[in-house]
Amino acid sequence: MVQDSDAFAADLLRGHTDTIVLGVLRRGESYGFEIYKTIRDATGGAHEIKEATLYAAYRRLEKDGLVESFWGDETQGGRRKYYRITDAGRAVYQRNVAAWTATRDIIDSLLDPRGSGRAPERH
Amino acid sequence: MAAIHRLLDEAFAGIEPTPEALDLKDEIRANLEARVAELEAAGTEPDAAARRAIDELGDVRELVADLPATSPWNAHRVRPRPAFVVRTVLLSIVAAAALALLLLDGVGLLALPAGALAVAVAVVALALGVVVADALRQETSTDYPMSPRRASGYGLATAAVLGALGTGWLLLNGVELPWLALAGVLFLGGVALFAGLGASQTNRHKAWALQQSDHYAEQGDRFTRDPAAAARFGIYTLVIMVLAVVAFIVLTVTLGWAWSWLALVGGFLLMMIVLARMLFPPAR
Repeated sequence: MVQDSDAFAADLLRGHTDTIVLGVLRRGESYGFEIYKTIRDATGGAHEIKEATLYAAYRRLEKDGLVESFWGDETQGGRRKYYRITDAGRAVYQRNVAAWTATRDIIDSLLDPRGSGRAPERH
Repeated sequence: MAAIHRLLDEAFAGIEPTPEALDLKDEIRANLEARVAELEAAGTEPDAAARRAIDELGDVRELVADLPATSPWNAHRVRPRPAFVVRTVLLSIVAAAALALLLLDGVGLLALPAGALAVAVAVVALALGVVVADALRQETSTDYPMSPRRASGYGLATAAVLGALGTGWLLLNGVELPWLALAGVLFLGGVALFAGLGASQTNRHKAWALQQSDHYAEQGDRFTRDPAAAARFGIYTLVIMVLAVVAFIVLTVTLGWAWSWLALVGGFLLMMIVLARMLFPPAR
């Protein structure tokens, strides 16, 4: 059962990869591993989005003009590719968050997590 | 760290090295290195850290799948095994040396005893038989490896036929007649084995290679699509060759042998140009 709920959460997370990445970048420019780490730590380490999935998201976002990238000037080690959110990216992020909030309310009322199991009785 | 570089090279093998692909590779490399550094700082062994970072990465191949590939052949490329290359080269050298001895004896530069000659023939036959069997056992870019039994069958047949030919060569150079029986048995056995193996041979091409050849077959060439063009080419060829032969005779009579052969070469060249023009007509 634990396995099932894990898979369910992972699917949900994956479905919102682009918005999650935009959300991380909204707080400031960042590079691949840092973004990955932020997401991992935000879930308390319980869930992660595979890095391969993230790379696909960066490419998609960049192609759509929602983020822009630039190479850092590290003096040692491999050079890092940084991502920065664009104004278009912010707009899409706001829209997606609004859509998520609306959807979440609908799903909450449909799945009824407060556990009454039936339509609430009126007194 | 070395494991990281190897994995990246494998994942990007067969990908056209466009700036975009190289960028992605560099980006992934830097991030992997950062993750390994984090794991090592937490006390993980370097090797285990590299392995874990790679595991966490997920399927890189999926990621590079939409980058343009250099060619299907490159994407499916199988490298030859170094041990196989070394074996083949060494066996070929041994076979070549034995063959050289046989030839030197044949032209009379060496006078080896009959026993040594028989050994040389056996060495050539067995070495090349092993080379054949070994080659068929290898997976290649287009073919799956052959089963061990079938591959050794081909190797054995090769050795038998070569042994028979070698024995025949010795007979021509004056070895006693009883050997003829051995040569005959070897030859018939080898040919029978080849026939049996050939008749029961099934396809071992890989799926992508078959698709590729289907694709080429569909395109077809002009002569299959347009038989009239093939007939026209036949007539042109006849005319060109008749003209060339006539020119050859005339030139031989007037200028002599030194120049007349040019007529035949010219005719042949003209024929090839006509063939090229008719098989691949210029686009309109």
